[in-house]
Amino acid sequence: MVTQAPSRNQAQGTSILAPVQRFWQKRGADLIPPIIGIAVFLTVWQLVSWSGATRLPGPLSLWTDTRTRELLLYPFYDLGGLDKGLFWQTLASLGRVAKGYTAAAVVGISLGVLVGTSPWLNKATYPIFQFLRMVAPLAWVPIALVALQQNQPAAIFVIFITAVWPILINTIEGVRQIPEDYNNVAKVLQLSRKDYYLNILFPSALPYIFTGLRIAIGLAWLAIIAAEIVMSGIVGIGFFIWDAYQQNYISEIILAVFYIGFVGLLLDRLIAFLQMKIAPARK
Amino acid sequence: MGLLVAVDQVDKVFPLTDGGEYVALKGIDLTIKQGEFVSFIGHSGCGKSTLLNMIAGLSLPSAGVLTLEGKKITEPGPDRMVVFQNYSLLPWRSVRENIALAVNRVYGDLPKGERRSIVQEHINLVGLQQAADKMPDQLSGGMKQRVAIARALAIRPKLLLLDEPFGALDALTRGNLQTQLMRICDENNVTAVMVTHDVDEAVLLSDRIVMLTNGPGAEIGNILEVDIPRPRERMAVVEHPSYYSLRSEIIYFLNQQKRIKKLRARKTATIARHGLEKVNLDIGFVPLTACAPVAIAQEKGFFAKHGLDEVHLNRETSWRGIVDGIAGGYLDAAQMPSGMPLWFSLGGHKNQPLPVVTALTMTRNGNAITLARRFYDQGIHSLESFREMLHRTPETQHRMGMVHPSSMHNLLLRYWLAAGGIDPDRDLALQTIPPAQMVVDLKGNSIDGFCVGEPWNLRAAMDEVGFTIATDREIYDGHPGKVLGVREAWATAYPNTHIALTKALLDACRYCADPENEAEIRQILSQRAYLGTPIEYIHLGSPSTKVCELSQPMREYAHHIFFGHGANRPSRTEHLWHMTQLARWGDVPFPRNWLEILERIVRVDVYSTAARELGMLDAKFTRGSIHLFDGTDFDAEDPIGYLNSLAIKRDITIAEVVLDTPGLLAA
Repeated sequence: MVTQAPSRNQAQGTSILAPVQRFWQKRGADLIPPIIGIAVFLTVWQLVSWSGATRLPGPLSLWTDTRTRELLLYPFYDLGGLDKGLFWQTLASLGRVAKGYTAAAVVGISLGVLVGTSPWLNKATYPIFQFLRMVAPLAWVPIALVALQQNQPAAIFVIFITAVWPILINTIEGVRQIPEDYNNVAKVLQLSRKDYYLNILFPSALPYIFTGLRIAIGLAWLAIIAAEIVMSGIVGIGFFIWDAYQQNYISEIILAVFYIGFVGLLLDRLIAFLQMKIAPARK
Repeated sequence: MGLLVAVDQVDKVFPLTDGGEYVALKGIDLTIKQGEFVSFIGHSGCGKSTLLNMIAGLSLPSAGVLTLEGKKITEPGPDRMVVFQNYSLLPWRSVRENIALAVNRVYGDLPKGERRSIVQEHINLVGLQQAADKMPDQLSGGMKQRVAIARALAIRPKLLLLDEPFGALDALTRGNLQTQLMRICDENNVTAVMVTHDVDEAVLLSDRIVMLTNGPGAEIGNILEVDIPRPRERMAVVEHPSYYSLRSEIIYFLNQQKRIKKLRARKTATIARHGLEKVNLDIGFVPLTACAPVAIAQEKGFFAKHGLDEVHLNRETSWRGIVDGIAGGYLDAAQMPSGMPLWFSLGGHKNQPLPVVTALTMTRNGNAITLARRFYDQGIHSLESFREMLHRTPETQHRMGMVHPSSMHNLLLRYWLAAGGIDPDRDLALQTIPPAQMVVDLKGNSIDGFCVGEPWNLRAAMDEVGFTIATDREIYDGHPGKVLGVREAWATAYPNTHIALTKALLDACRYCADPENEAEIRQILSQRAYLGTPIEYIHLGSPSTKVCELSQPMREYAHHIFFGHGANRPSRTEHLWHMTQLARWGDVPFPRNWLEILERIVRVDVYSTAARELGMLDAKFTRGSIHLFDGTDFDAEDPIGYLNSLAIKRDITIAEVVLDTPGLLAA
């Protein structure tokens, strides 16, 4: 992603070439190693592929293969049914993630505050949470399918159950870690419960909550792919991969993997951006 | 001024993780008046913050009650706003918002504009207009603490609680903030309680300083009143006559706490040897020329000679140290001013009679009264002219120093003044000052004169800051100076050790009186372990030529008597005289059972045994009356009649003083 920045700027004309040069002078040292790293990685991959040591196609196949070239060029096509462009596939997956993740955030934060403010409740629930947290997303799939009968709600449930633990556990920790000083201020001022939550508890626990949210978004995205691979017959990038594998379109899998990685990175950055805006790091 | 806070018999116990418990505070009694500034001082971990938190309501006492305006404190509230050590500002709120949080909470019913102006007013109060909209992260430590103070004051608490408010700040910022806090408190009549470990800060800011002893089971060791008038200026405070005595009082207390901690750690067993019950003794002394017998007994091996081969000398800088050592039981014996055994026994220390006996008078004479040099230059050369001067200038508070209420210096000085028609408490103020501090205070003009043992009178004369106006040779020649004192319980438990100790010191007294040894003794005394003062200031006996050459004291030098006919034998008549004088000045009641008390306190039997075993015959002692310079003779016939005949005296109480049964030994 970062490697594209200078080239795009250059394309916009010579008038802004000077700032680009300055940027390059300043940041070049930081940018060159990753660019070389990526280039070497792709080259080695391509060479291995050519050598015939593996059936896995090289990165160039994304372009040379007609199917993937079309998918690459026309992400927005929609021929009905499951035959959709990668944009729609990704969007469908994202939609599920959004629903499951939102539910996880709401439940995780509220339950976390509740448990975090009550030492008794914390002791009571600790073993349960630690136990459930260890269950892998894929293990939830059959349970979800049995419990909910339908693919769509089951997928959302799997997202929810995967994402909720880091949010919950971090929120509990954040509430428990509120400095005694802040609590003392609240006690001395006899703040009402509402004032205490708004002015002390949430602002203080926010960095922890965001840490939970960032871990959770990554896990949620991981989980949706796993869930969709198992739940056949739905639009989504996970099932797209599974479908491509069944039909032996290996290049498509590679393309989809690029999409997944890229979207995952974007999601993480998005939450990081929100964190920076809402709860900037303090000294 | 009404009573605001009352702390009544409060204990605080914390449970420990191993199932035990830690008693942090025990039996705390304290009242705080409206408008008062009170400081808590003590070593780390003594529970001063715990006490503050209990007043705040942040923690509750394990036993006892705390009240605010008569209502029991059960929870924290904005009427007792706390300024925390680490500021406790909310980092996600700006300065203004931090203060507003408190103001909105307390003044929620006021219109918005009014609340905003309260916030602004307090931002102005601490001078943070420029930083009002900054976040706490952008402020320095001093600015943060100002915000915390503004936040606290903005809600007009009945009581402001400060927990080491300036502990984390650099010296310059701390100084500025102290001045600001003092001004704000004065202007707004704030009642405040502050926890601190800074002695100067406590003296500067407080009306009263509460000193806490070390935990576990910390209690209030002492409460000091700071009599420096307000408004206070830092420089003026430092120059105030009370400043250094308050300061040294606190430092003494803190050092004493440290020593007690060390002594608790070093548990010593009693070592019995050579037929003596205890040979490992801790003996206290104060560095004065009069400590010669103690120093010599140690240096010349008299202790060892009489079987006491593990004697450890404890050098105390003031008589307070001796008092605490004897009362606290960590000194076996001590060199004491001659009045101290009686003073202890009659309840002079904390109103708790503690029987202390004496079997040996170690020195006589050696004291003198010194006045500041400027009085000499004004032509004040006699008691008569001194009185005239005092009565001419009643508006000026004159101060004189003495070393301890029970010491001969105090009694001599008061007797001398009263005989000259000066009331030592009304025409003057007498202050207790450690001996070594006298000359410094005289130089610093915080006292006008003093009565103290040598070498300090001589030193004041040689340094040309004072002159000797009277010596004990004129006032009461041959008066007892320092005596050997031990707790009666100790004497009962270790009777043979008591005799051996008396023998060793009596032997040393004899050595000190031999003119051949003078050079050696002076040399020993000048060492750091004893006086630590140049040898030319130290003189033992016969007046040296140097002193006679001084133009000012046209008198005989106050020389010490260490040994001689009847010099060392404790005399009941003399102790009776002390008893009358202590009662005269209101230090202790005069005991109706004075005869019984004298019998118990003055252990002539121990002295006689010791003297006999040394081959000294004390038959030559003659019981007679005491001659004093004003022409009165004191005899032991009618002490109460004598007291009634005195013109200048305090209200005298006569009471039966009940001493513990002898033989009951505190472990």
